[in-house]
Amino acid sequence: MAAIEIHEVSKRFGSVQAVAGLSFSVEAGRVTGFLGPNGAGKSTTLRVLLGLVRANAGAATFQGRSYEELTHPSAHVGAVLEEGSFHPGRTGRNHLRVLAAAGRHPPGRVAEVLEQVGLAAAANRRVKGYSMGMRQRLAIAAALLGDPEVLILDEPANGLDPPGIRWMRDLLRTEASRGRAVLVSSHLLSEVAQSVDDVVVIARGTLRASGALESVLGTPEGPVTRVHSDDAERLAALLRERGIAAEPHDSNVLLVRSAPETVGAIAAEHRVALVELVAVSRSLEEAFFELTEGEA
Amino acid sequence: MTALLEAELLKLSTTRTFVALAAIAVATSVLIAGLVSLLSEPSEGSVLTDVFTSDTSSLFILILAIVGITGEWRHRTIASSLLAAPDRLRFLAAKTLAFAAAGLLLSLLIAIGVSITGFAVLSARNLPLPEAGELLAQIGRNAIVAALLGAFGVGIGALVRNQPVAIVGVLVASFVLEPAVLGLAPDVGRYGPFVGLPAAVQDLPSSDLGDDVELLSPPLAGLAMLVWIGAAFATGGALLRRRDVE
Repeated sequence: MAAIEIHEVSKRFGSVQAVAGLSFSVEAGRVTGFLGPNGAGKSTTLRVLLGLVRANAGAATFQGRSYEELTHPSAHVGAVLEEGSFHPGRTGRNHLRVLAAAGRHPPGRVAEVLEQVGLAAAANRRVKGYSMGMRQRLAIAAALLGDPEVLILDEPANGLDPPGIRWMRDLLRTEASRGRAVLVSSHLLSEVAQSVDDVVVIARGTLRASGALESVLGTPEGPVTRVHSDDAERLAALLRERGIAAEPHDSNVLLVRSAPETVGAIAAEHRVALVELVAVSRSLEEAFFELTEGEA
Repeated sequence: MTALLEAELLKLSTTRTFVALAAIAVATSVLIAGLVSLLSEPSEGSVLTDVFTSDTSSLFILILAIVGITGEWRHRTIASSLLAAPDRLRFLAAKTLAFAAAGLLLSLLIAIGVSITGFAVLSARNLPLPEAGELLAQIGRNAIVAALLGAFGVGIGALVRNQPVAIVGVLVASFVLEPAVLGLAPDVGRYGPFVGLPAAVQDLPSSDLGDDVELLSPPLAGLAMLVWIGAAFATGGALLRRRDVE
């Protein structure tokens, strides 16, 4: 059973259809990037999953149970929401003490997570004096309090400086390597491109693509291979004989609508020497723009 | 529920608002008790209610409770609160109990200040003092009113989540609407949750509220307050369950 299952979730706010029949799943031990332009419905979906927003239809569950049905929710799921959820007059430490008490976590966890996110020195300062990056670290500390099996982070890099973003990426990878399911939403592709295993792309509340990063990065028409050979013309003819489209791309370079394995096998069969054989994939950014049809 | 109650009490004790308002409540109550003891000539029969009911805790805890629940929306802490306690009625129940406890504590703090001040000034002026048993009973009734209004404030805040609207609305109801109803229709006004019923629970003389007013007995008034709290909790809780936390 998937760590997170979103099944046919729909949510309407007045006349705005924020999410429409959205379905995807998140597996344990993997970092899943939840991507979409601003206003795509990412935050609404995450809030439905966390029981903060009531869906009009569908179900969002953790191993088959809704957030409300979890017996010890903050020990199972840790969440960082896009907009900080802090009382400005409370210190960082006291904010975590309140959450630790409510979640029945050992008081000692407060100092541990403060240390983990690098806020120990600022723990006794009031949150109103925190920078945006410090608030984001505090939110991450709150999510880690219960050492949860599932981490949900909504735009976690907001306000983080470059070292902070790197730290956050390392954190995501570390948590996934510990078998945690990590779902991280972002509208900034550079943030997630280096750290995700799977991606879910949505736009206007509907699913545009989901799956392993490599499969989503493939071109919509199927695999494309760039092949460089001094005998490019003969290779193109051989490929066309097999019904495979091959177009000249550059001097002695072809773009072939097939996987590298197939192209390589045909070249070997006919003893055509190759200089280069490369699978062509889009960058995440290219894929994102194509999938969201310019809505980003 | 114990964990949630502990968390709510921690919330209360870890911001300056509660400490500041509690200090103001104690100071104003002591000031009023001191001035009444100094400037009036209470008789043996009236000294208890004249001097030792000058407890402003009920108003302050009502405001504090409204600030406590509406502040969850204002500062967006409602999201982290509901992530820790997804059962929204349990969350509201814990907050209600926390503010009832805070009202009780605040009233007892005020009682200490008012008692010391009242006894000191009245003794110095050789005026009559209340019996210890009567005073303790009055302190208990004052504390019960503070606890009830603390709980009622949470219900009001759950109903009206806009903080300024809720506070101004309660002040208008307490100082304008309910006194007006008490004056125009005392039989209706005595059931009011801001003036009529608290005064009855405190066992204040009916004449303090108007010539035609006949307050309920303290136990009956306490029950009526519980009905008000139950109604506010039920409707506020129903709204809270339906609301999206965006």
